Amino acid sequence: MHERHQKMIYISLLVAFGMILHVIENMIPVPFPVPGAKLGLANIISLLAIVMYGLREGLTVSILRSLLGTLISGSMSSLIYSLSGAVASTLVMAFFYRFFSNTFSLAGISIIGGVTHNFTQITVASLILSTPALYVYLPYLMIVGLLTGLFTGFSAIFVRQQLSKVPMISKGTRGSN
Amino acid sequence: MLTKGDKILIIFILISSFLILAAFQVFGFGNEQSYAQIEVFGAPYQKISLGDDGPSMLIKVPGMLGTSIIEVDKNRVRVVSSPCPDKDCMRQGWASKPGQMLVCLPNRVVVKIVNQSIEQDTDAVSF
Repeated sequence: MHERHQKMIYISLLVAFGMILHVIENMIPVPFPVPGAKLGLANIISLLAIVMYGLREGLTVSILRSLLGTLISGSMSSLIYSLSGAVASTLVMAFFYRFFSNTFSLAGISIIGGVTHNFTQITVASLILSTPALYVYLPYLMIVGLLTGLFTGFSAIFVRQQLSKVPMISKGTRGSN
Repeated sequence: MLTKGDKILIIFILISSFLILAAFQVFGFGNEQSYAQIEVFGAPYQKISLGDDGPSMLIKVPGMLGTSIIEVDKNRVRVVSSPCPDKDCMRQGWASKPGQMLVCLPNRVVVKIVNQSIEQDTDAVSF
């Protein structure tokens, strides 16, 4: 199969999975009244995209799954929160993956991504609502980011292990060890 | 599977979130002027500013059943006497922090501690 087409197909698959996770995320209520606060489940997909291809593809996948996931789940006003959180955490994860993969496993990078995601959400929500009071929830959201980061991190590790056994996928991508 | 860096990261996050939590408890949110707002039948009756240099006085508040007496002691308030049968309001003791309230339902008297950000705050956001 042509390399370019294969890559396009796999990126589309990643976006599709990301959208599903995004929609599911929206259904899980977070007990803090921070608008747009979510578990960062879809970060699995962003991290996988970064690991499999690189920063540019990671950003593409993140932005696309945010946009499309928001369109499907119907609450457009949460777009700004999820888009900013996704982009910020993708950037941060890519940075740490590129320079610090020896210090942190995928779980650690995922935790950093999750905490960044939640921190960005609080910041954007504070700016939009013009009140710094939301930062009270920062400690709680940091813990939530830590926990979901652990979960998504382990998921990403397992997925990568399994994917590297599939020759068709591991030949066109990098970072499969 | 978890590297040493991971474990350090986790501990770092746990510690820093507890520190932030503790910092908020100790420092609070900037020291705005707080007021005791007395409302009768839901309508504002009197507003008294509280503080370390605040007034110390007794206020007679006419309610549905009779007169409640509210005591203001610099930066806290309480209900001293009330014509209601159960005297729940008197049992609540002192209120001093913004958001706290003393309520006497039978007499329709409410004393709320407010500050400027409580009055400006939105009550709910939906999105």
